[in-house]
Amino acid sequence: MKKNKEKTAHSMFSNIMFFIKLLFEVSPMLVIGEFAWGILMHVPPRLISVIGVKYIIDVVSEGERLERIFAAVGIIALIIVVSNVFTWIFREFFWNMERERVYYGLNKKLYDKARQLDEESYDNPDFYNNFILTIESSSDNIQNLLGLVRNYVGNIILLFSIGSVLLTIDPVCLVIILFFIGVFSPLSKKIGNLQMQRRVDNTRFHRRSDYFQRIFYLQDYCKEVRMNEISPLLIERYNDAATDVVKNQKYYWKRISGFYMIQESGIQILGFMFVLPLYLGYCVLVKNSLSPGEFVAAFNGAFSIASSINFLTVWAVAVFSERGKMIEKYREFLKTDFRISDGKNKAEKGKPKEIKIENLSFTYPGNSEPTLENISLTIKPYEKIALVGYNGAGKTTLTNLLLRLYDPTEGAILIDGEDIRDATVDSHRDRFAAVFQDFRLFSLNVGENVALDKEYDSEKVMEALSHSGFGKKLKNGTETELLREFDDEGVMLSGGESQKIAIARAFYKDCPYVILDEPSANLDPVAEYNLNRAMTEAADNKTVIFISHRLSTTVHADRIYVMEKGRIIECGSHDELMKKGGTYARMFNLQAEKYREESKA
Amino acid sequence: MARVYQKDHKRVPVTKNILFAVKLGWEADKRLFLGYLASMIADEVFSLYVQNILFLRVLLGIIDAEGSFNEYIKNLVIFLALSLVLKGVNWYTTYLRQTATKNVLKQVNNKIFRKAVSLDVACYEDPAFYDKYQRATDVLAWGLFDSACAAVTAMIASVIALMLVIGTVFTVDPAYLIFLSPLILVFPVENFKAKLVYKRDKEMTTNNRVKAYIQRTVFLKDFSKDMRTSNVFSALMIRFRDAIDSNVEILRSYGMKLFLFSAVSTLFSEFIPIIGTYALAGYQFVFTGTLTVSAFSVVISSINSVQQATLRMANNFEGMSRFAFYFQNMREFLDFESNVKDGEEICGDFESLEFRNVSFKYPSAEGCTLENVSFRIDKGETLALVGVNGAGKSTLVKLFLRFYDVTEGEIILNGKNIRAYTLASLRSIFGAVFQDYTNFAISVYENIICHECDGEDKLRAETALKQSGVWDKIASLPEKGDTVLTREFDKDGVGLSGGENQKLSVARLFAKDFSFAVLDEPSSALDPVAEYKMYESLINVTAGKTVLYISHRLSSAVLSDRILVLDGKRIAEDGTHEELMQKGGIYSEMFTLQASSYKGETEVQE
Repeated sequence: MKKNKEKTAHSMFSNIMFFIKLLFEVSPMLVIGEFAWGILMHVPPRLISVIGVKYIIDVVSEGERLERIFAAVGIIALIIVVSNVFTWIFREFFWNMERERVYYGLNKKLYDKARQLDEESYDNPDFYNNFILTIESSSDNIQNLLGLVRNYVGNIILLFSIGSVLLTIDPVCLVIILFFIGVFSPLSKKIGNLQMQRRVDNTRFHRRSDYFQRIFYLQDYCKEVRMNEISPLLIERYNDAATDVVKNQKYYWKRISGFYMIQESGIQILGFMFVLPLYLGYCVLVKNSLSPGEFVAAFNGAFSIASSINFLTVWAVAVFSERGKMIEKYREFLKTDFRISDGKNKAEKGKPKEIKIENLSFTYPGNSEPTLENISLTIKPYEKIALVGYNGAGKTTLTNLLLRLYDPTEGAILIDGEDIRDATVDSHRDRFAAVFQDFRLFSLNVGENVALDKEYDSEKVMEALSHSGFGKKLKNGTETELLREFDDEGVMLSGGESQKIAIARAFYKDCPYVILDEPSANLDPVAEYNLNRAMTEAADNKTVIFISHRLSTTVHADRIYVMEKGRIIECGSHDELMKKGGTYARMFNLQAEKYREESKA
Repeated sequence: MARVYQKDHKRVPVTKNILFAVKLGWEADKRLFLGYLASMIADEVFSLYVQNILFLRVLLGIIDAEGSFNEYIKNLVIFLALSLVLKGVNWYTTYLRQTATKNVLKQVNNKIFRKAVSLDVACYEDPAFYDKYQRATDVLAWGLFDSACAAVTAMIASVIALMLVIGTVFTVDPAYLIFLSPLILVFPVENFKAKLVYKRDKEMTTNNRVKAYIQRTVFLKDFSKDMRTSNVFSALMIRFRDAIDSNVEILRSYGMKLFLFSAVSTLFSEFIPIIGTYALAGYQFVFTGTLTVSAFSVVISSINSVQQATLRMANNFEGMSRFAFYFQNMREFLDFESNVKDGEEICGDFESLEFRNVSFKYPSAEGCTLENVSFRIDKGETLALVGVNGAGKSTLVKLFLRFYDVTEGEIILNGKNIRAYTLASLRSIFGAVFQDYTNFAISVYENIICHECDGEDKLRAETALKQSGVWDKIASLPEKGDTVLTREFDKDGVGLSGGENQKLSVARLFAKDFSFAVLDEPSSALDPVAEYKMYESLINVTAGKTVLYISHRLSSAVLSDRILVLDGKRIAEDGTHEELMQKGGIYSEMFTLQASSYKGETEVQE
């Protein structure tokens, strides 16, 4: 186990305390209440079964008076009532609601952080896996950890109170109990390790089997599976993986359940049902040093101590260390530094200014080859610029840099003579409206989807939608909810309509620069044509940078940059580039060939 | 994981579904149920009866009677032996069922896969059915077969243990049963309470879906750019806050009722039994002197045992009604009858395909997608299908591949209604590349050939890969065509780009022995040069075969013998490029629009 233990910056204890402190900041009453609950839940019933029973048996054996028995019964009744009433009031009127609020508080912290994370974090699978795991378990963390802490506190108090009762009865009892626990409980570690290995192995096999399971489930594959006789192969691959899981399970459980049996037989049976009662019987029957009440108390106490110790040393520690690792990730995540950091100045929106890109180079983290190499260009205010090139030429990357989703490896981008890194990130990005190739709609209403903000101007939204050619009737106007993530009445849109919503974002936003990455990919020829026209009209007072595969749309650009392997290889207006007869002309001719033949005919 | 979408949560028959679950598990692997049964009984009887009651009773009985130490030891040894036997049973059966559970997973998954392959494609597009499928797989993912077997067997074990305990108390003094009987009431009270909690949680479902959605949105790469370049985060946070506030309100509104239920439950499970028993015991000790210490300890311990048994039964009962819901879905899924029925005849080589007055309406849609469509395509023809977004082009393809059956009219293949043919033989004459091309996490060769490959298969795959223009890339991979695609679970796996993946899908078509090719936007992910090359090889490979193209780029329509224009659910135009251009209809308008920019260029060139 130790060898594959991750190196953590903080101890388990420090992590647990960190989390409790965090919870305490969000809701002090919840933490205090949990502690009290833990004590009230565990201690009274056990104490009654040990001390209460002993007391009554002893009172009876000694022939004491009835009042003392009824007094004892009265006290027991009071304890039961008080502890239960507190527990239920706390649980139903406070705990449930407070946990929702804590969920909000903790997740808000994470979300605020996540939103500012560098885009490049998403390219790093290690980091990504780490924090997604943290987030997904964050609500579980609250519940499990608090429940665990609650039980921990309860069991510690219980252990000490029962322990001291036993000590007063006969210290030898305590010695016997601790001896058997001491001898057999280390097996738990062995069991825990085996369980861990089993799970690790199973996960590996399951990843394989789950994949093939998904193929049958996902819509993406259903047509392909029906058109090609591929399902026998896929089922066979699934069965291979599933058989491995069965074998693995068999291998580990034979051992695990064996160790369990040895441990439970050792402590529960050999220790508490044989050696301890043997000693107690000897004391009562032969030595007469113990009363029957003490016999019962010692016997019940032994089981109580065993279950507390088992919980505290095995169960809780295992879960704590697992949770501790998650908390460590949570901490790590909250402490992550941003590479994209704020500059000093607040960028102004205003009118379009000159954008100057100087000797820009960029390599994605973890890549050896640069994606952009030594790019220099100048975009004058109000220009319409087209970026053209093969797949993977670096067009989208260039716009990512413009938006400061990444910072350049070398070189700089200047707007109105000022390095964009000198502006605050938010104010810089606010100057741009961007429609991405892989745009997404949100499960929000139409207005929010177009404005991408909590507040929006309905009229402006409708205007932007009509510019982008969005024609679908909306039942509740801009308040119509999109998607069915959680609103069953939500409106589902086709690919083309979704794209028009995305394009409307660019029309809506009041800003000097617009970036459009393949804005017409999902549109049919008519819609594409209309869009191009609307774009030129509406973007008259803006600088526009667009990326397109369809060269017909680039014809009207003021300037076209042709990119290849991270460099700009050609630049000029459509006519200039056609005359030059380079890559652009070749690409254009390929696309235009058929149309041209027709027009000749 | 607990993201349960309970929108159509209706009450389902519990017994029927749980029995279904047990039966399905039993058919897959008997050891699962038997293992649980034996280990539950051994465990329950040991902890609730032998250890908790019988043991103390016997030993204290000896002490009470001031018996000999030897007798005492003899009894201890008997208990030791009995307990070890019960533990042994528990050990062996735990091992049995832990192995069986994964085998059940495998067997039932096989059942599901076979069912899934036979499903209509329509099922995948129907959210209600999809939910069913999802829940059927949840059954496996969450180990609900284990849970169902455990719940059923634990019920049986609890009843056995309970009878042993009550029987023992009865022999001590039946009067104590008066104080134990309220414990039985805990069962209905807890059951009511569980229903209330269930109702409460159901009210929170929508809010929890919002919470889950927000979480996903904030962390997925898909949304990251919009999140960073706009203020949409604030809109999302408002929804988040609203969902939390609304949940708090719901929890608050249930607080009082749940508190009362809890109080009543505690009254029955702890207060009355404990206080009553102590009081009666005190009375008997002092006044009547009829109670022995051993009998007293039996009744006190039995409170604990009965408490545990009833609470466990209540939990299991509640659990069963929860599982029942999932098994209901699995049952419906496995019993589902496809609408698209297999025919009996084998269809031979392709001769002709004809649509006769075909209309089609998607099951959930309001209006028709296609209306009264008629056309014919003969062997060797090349046909382009053209139309605006949503005109029904892809739907038309789905109809003759029998992903859906027509609503009205008929489709005739080789002179017979396509419903007459077996699905396998019908689909085998077509080779298709879909708009949403997909590849599998198996080797490149297997992706092309669709079964395990021998040397000959590999050669065939290689040829197809060369034709689709992606062989250079594949040849550069460490294992060449044996490389497993994607890094889903293979570290040495290779992820291909969108364009390369698309070329791979096209290669699958090339390797298939088809006589009719269906190409739905086969070049959408390709750049102009790659697209051009792709069309060149498509023309070569499909020479002499029948081809149907769907494309937005009309330049490719020019290549075909005939063009069909879909508009307003119907076939608006049908003819050669020249004919349609002359006609001056929709096609010529679309073509002129698209060509306008290019045309200007022609003049410059000339």
